[in-house]
Amino acid sequence: MATNKLLVLAALALAAGTAAAHHSVAGQFDQAKRTTITGTISKVDWINPHVYIYMDVANEQGAVTTWRLESLPTAMLRKAGLTSEMIKGGGQKVTAAALMARNGTPNLAWLLNLTYEDGHAYTLAGE
Amino acid sequence: MRNSDTPSSRLPTVLLAATFGLAATVSAQQSNDAIPRTADGRPDLSGTWDNGAGIDFVRPKQDGDSICIFGCAGGGALPLNVAAPTTPQYRPDFAARVADLDKRQVAEDPVLRCVAPGVPRIGPPDKIVQRAGEAVFLYEDVSGSFFRIVPTDGRPHPTNNEPSFLGDAVGHWEGDTLVVETVNFNDQTWLTDNGAFHTGDLRVVERLHRTADTLEWVATAHDPAVLAEPWELAKRVARLTDVEIVESPPCIDRSLEHMVDDSHHTNPR
Repeated sequence: MATNKLLVLAALALAAGTAAAHHSVAGQFDQAKRTTITGTISKVDWINPHVYIYMDVANEQGAVTTWRLESLPTAMLRKAGLTSEMIKGGGQKVTAAALMARNGTPNLAWLLNLTYEDGHAYTLAGE
Repeated sequence: MRNSDTPSSRLPTVLLAATFGLAATVSAQQSNDAIPRTADGRPDLSGTWDNGAGIDFVRPKQDGDSICIFGCAGGGALPLNVAAPTTPQYRPDFAARVADLDKRQVAEDPVLRCVAPGVPRIGPPDKIVQRAGEAVFLYEDVSGSFFRIVPTDGRPHPTNNEPSFLGDAVGHWEGDTLVVETVNFNDQTWLTDNGAFHTGDLRVVERLHRTADTLEWVATAHDPAVLAEPWELAKRVARLTDVEIVESPPCIDRSLEHMVDDSHHTNPR
């Protein structure tokens, strides 16, 4: 039945859009404030409902700031074959695209993707 | 006048009926034969089941060493069996409370604080271990690792357990369907993401039916003190998977303090 199909499609779209974030990204992160940072990943908190990835980013003067990048639930990463060690990337440089926190918390962002110095990338959320 | 009911005139009909009857019997037999069974002849529901929703619908794409989970060109994740959700219908006296809780979900939804999601919100079991007289349901959930023990040996519900998030279950077989009745819940979980509270008198009936490598799960929530009618969830179909469940890492919320509005959280399971 057409109505049911529409409902199913709506449900699928809803699920695909929201499950990527477990909760509403829009309530916490600003989709209009995209940032790109480069550094090294120093720690991964493998926890639910969201994995946290810590990236050390040095400015031109060499001062290091640690960013907190929020990501998906652990099972999503695991089922994609990702581990915390893979995310750390062996200490190589990595560039992250992310959305900044709406409440102004500094250095807190929703992780979209990671691109490593050797060229491989992990895309975790759509933009 | 030709008698249309002569044996010869009935023959094609009889043959037709016999043929179709035989076909139906064979079909049913094949269907039944496709169900793995335990030594006692019951369908064996044991296995790890991808229930096609929540975390299980991740279908990542891999390109060399690169991996895409969501936001991939061409789509990296597709839901498998997410049916149109149904909504519990409340008695008129409680509609305003549900609407209020729904509006304030971020502040009120227990599951966002990492507690067990309750039944039926937890969804179909991720793994079932079955033996004569009992089945054990296992869940790798965002909120934690959970289990439910389902006696199937005819014993009644226990009478001395504290009310709990996942309640006390007992099961029985209706033909090849395992019917699980669960009671003795606390009132600290919701039925859905949308403010669908329940009382401690909630009773949930789940029906699980296995074919060859699929498991159908249907659940109905009964809570007549607040629900206008029993709430039947949309049927879910899980598929046998070789991706084993693991211990859920700790659930520690660090997000809610940063929420700036009431944007709704959807938590598919």
